Amino acid sequence: MSARDRILERVRAGLKRPTPVSVARPDRSLAPMARPVSHLLNDFIARAESLQSTVAQVANLNAVPAAVAEYLQAQGLPRKSVIWPSLKALDWFSSGLTAEARPPVSEDRLGITETFCGIAETGTLLLHSGVDHFSTTSLLPETHIAILRVDRLVERMEQAFALMQSELDQLPRATNFISGPSRTADIEQTIVIGAHGPRRVHIILVG
Amino acid sequence: MRIGLFVTCLVDAMRPSIGFASVSLLEAAGCEVTIPDTQTCCGQPGFNSGDRPSGIQLGLAFLRDFEGFDAIVAPSGSCIGMIHDYPTLFKDDLALQARLNVLTAKCYELTDFLVNHAPKPLSPGRLSMTVSYHDSCTGLRQLEIKSQPRFLLQQTQGVELREMKDAEICCGFGGSFSIKLGDIATQMADKKCAHALETGCDAIVGGDLGCLLNIEGRLRRRGDPHTQVKHVAELLAESLVNPQLEKS
Amino acid sequence: MKIRSEQFKGNVRKQLADEALQSNLSRFGGGFADRRRDALVKVDDFEALRDRGASIRAEVLENLDYWLLKFEAEAQRRGTQVHWAETGAEANQILLNIARNAGVQRVVKSKSMVSEESGLNEVLTEAGMTVTETDLGEYILQLANEPPSHIIAPAIHKSRDEVSALFEKHHGTPRTDDIPSLCEEARGQLRPHFLAADMGVSGGNFLIAETGSVTIVTNEGNGRMVTTLPRVHVAMTGIEKVLPTLEDLSAILRLLPRSATGQDITNYVSILTGVRDEGAMDGPQENHVILVDNGRSRLLGGDLHDALRCIRCGACMNHCPVYQNIGGHAYGWVYPGPIGAILTPAFLGLEKALDLPQASTLCAACEVVCPVRIPLPDLMRVLREKELTQGLRPWHERLSIRLWRWLALHPGWYAFAARWGTRLLRGMAGSDRLLHTLPGLDGWTEGRDMPAPQGETFRDQWRKKQAAERKIIPIRLDPSPSEKKAGLKK
Repeated sequence: MSARDRILERVRAGLKRPTPVSVARPDRSLAPMARPVSHLLNDFIARAESLQSTVAQVANLNAVPAAVAEYLQAQGLPRKSVIWPSLKALDWFSSGLTAEARPPVSEDRLGITETFCGIAETGTLLLHSGVDHFSTTSLLPETHIAILRVDRLVERMEQAFALMQSELDQLPRATNFISGPSRTADIEQTIVIGAHGPRRVHIILVG
Repeated sequence: MRIGLFVTCLVDAMRPSIGFASVSLLEAAGCEVTIPDTQTCCGQPGFNSGDRPSGIQLGLAFLRDFEGFDAIVAPSGSCIGMIHDYPTLFKDDLALQARLNVLTAKCYELTDFLVNHAPKPLSPGRLSMTVSYHDSCTGLRQLEIKSQPRFLLQQTQGVELREMKDAEICCGFGGSFSIKLGDIATQMADKKCAHALETGCDAIVGGDLGCLLNIEGRLRRRGDPHTQVKHVAELLAESLVNPQLEKS
Repeated sequence: MKIRSEQFKGNVRKQLADEALQSNLSRFGGGFADRRRDALVKVDDFEALRDRGASIRAEVLENLDYWLLKFEAEAQRRGTQVHWAETGAEANQILLNIARNAGVQRVVKSKSMVSEESGLNEVLTEAGMTVTETDLGEYILQLANEPPSHIIAPAIHKSRDEVSALFEKHHGTPRTDDIPSLCEEARGQLRPHFLAADMGVSGGNFLIAETGSVTIVTNEGNGRMVTTLPRVHVAMTGIEKVLPTLEDLSAILRLLPRSATGQDITNYVSILTGVRDEGAMDGPQENHVILVDNGRSRLLGGDLHDALRCIRCGACMNHCPVYQNIGGHAYGWVYPGPIGAILTPAFLGLEKALDLPQASTLCAACEVVCPVRIPLPDLMRVLREKELTQGLRPWHERLSIRLWRWLALHPGWYAFAARWGTRLLRGMAGSDRLLHTLPGLDGWTEGRDMPAPQGETFRDQWRKKQAAERKIIPIRLDPSPSEKKAGLKK
């Protein structure tokens, strides 16, 4: 008998029955939310900002590079970035930016990604991995700029999962919910922004 | 309304004045008070030490002593909490469990009874002191005793209620815990005393004698012979002696 | 992890006498509880969230084998290798084999309490690998060579000065009292480890049965690094951590961060499914999950079953006045506080942790905050009952409980004992009406006086008063006629 069999045998013995062939879940409504969302966009912005993300809004995708440049200017950050290949088509050059479509190395200071969807419930970004969706772009650089189409906002986490289910063949290798810059409170319960991941998360809403 | 007063074992032995105070308050609230002579203890000390038979057998004894009353009142949230747990000990005897359910539904902590269930509202009298109220755990968390004692104290003319920091945090009594792990209990009591004294109150007031003995014991050992440690029933009963003055 | 739960009372004495620890506990101990309270102000109906969380976890346990098998099948379908370990030692061996087969030299870890149970770091180090903890708290403790004292804030017992001293010793950097600088230093120290590691070891906050995924919840981002950068990822987690669906995860995630740190959501929630996609540039090429039993399956269906609902938020310890006074190390194993007082004896055996279920006033501060409604005080009482019935309590304790119960069931004798007992105590008290010592009750009188009984017992006084009012009730030693009459008729 393997460890697996012995563990399962003890589980069955404890529950006093053989493993059921199928399990019916109780038929019930969607789980309650902590706070209802009254306005998708406004709530998303307010809640993202409460988690120390910063938010800007532009009318269309073509306006993104200028908004990025403006943000970098205001923060005093260098105008050099690594981007997801899907963003290659944008005119970064005219805004004085260099944008390389490659996975980041540790020294890269700015990563720009798209966002699968935004969740208003908590002001959260949902990014997933893929051949052209490097997970590290939102992780290694100290600044992460996420581009999020306003029509990709959903109310709650369950809807984000439903959206993935309807649009993707299968759950990607990594599904990352990102809610603000990385942080720690491991020393004296003092919250410090910028632990191992980005120190800044800037969201550019499009639409 | 015929009330059976459950005096509790600690009050019986250590501080009978709380029992007499309870009688006065209940009578002032329009109750006819009876004290069954065969009552002893709710069983919690044994039950919480892991002796289930304590809960079961004393639950039966309690049923015998108190089943016939319109309501049963005790000056202790802790004991009433234990009593409310009796039905869970009789899962195999549905008839008995049903009887206990009926019984426990009419068992009340004293201040809760006076505020929410008494035939007529209690009109406390007058005192002159500042007090700080310590919330006892079982009363607070199992029976939701929080506003009731404060309401009565605020109704008492001349009593100023000052909230202490962490009033809801356990004082460290916990029955046998206070002996088995006395060093932790002492430190918890020490924090309780410090928070209470920060308010500058004349008396630390509570609704459970176990907590009061623990707090007073620590206070006296710290060398404070003055600050009073009182059961809320004692204060309220003392106030009855002095009718409220007309406000000019 | 080395088991020190047997020496609980000694641990407590040490912790209470440790001034630095006491100062740290009183300065930072209450932080989580305050933040949780502030977070709940913004929640409409937290009780409804708790109801949902509790019912989801209860449902999982009712069919744990089914959900584990479903998880296994889905995980395997996506290329994850699923291993089962009956004990911590077995889990370590499985992990060691994975590491050896993959030629691993450098291991980075994000926080895993199960790997603390199994003592994984020592095993890997002995096998010649370098292991680096990357959660800031865990990293600090690795430098200090100490076990965690809290399940979500492992180094909560350390002050910035202590951290700075450790960093000075190990990094050779100058001392600082600036916390952001200390965090920055750790970031700088740990980044190269993430980049160079061959293998990442993580825990798993949840396993998702319908997708075969491991979910990791972190704030620092180290969990993402550990599961993204190295070529091998191994998640080590308890068999009870499974959730049926992503919808269940959504519901549970509304509870976990709020209960733990008072955050609406943690910075990162990562749902990891399978291995690196064909042609992708990141993610592990090998992905493993080790499902660890280590005592858990024994609890199913028994009277401690509900403890397996736990989602490891730490709210019970954050709100426990005992934990807040003695800190986590006193409990002597991986899980401190109320949940530890249950899990330690449950996983290791009651005889290894006799004092833990006693280390509670049953104040229920834990129970009212538990996001999945584990009846923690009831479970501690269950363990106390086991100790008593298995003869594991000292003889004098067992005797006194029986004697007390006998007395309480015999009102006449009880009245007699109370009458003479109170007389004796009054006689022993000084003019201050206090008892400074009590034979056999040193536990009380070492730190507190005992106020002496006021006078005659209430019932004696009441009887006299009634007699004076001509309502004479005779003193009885035997059951009264009314007692017999009212005898229980079922």
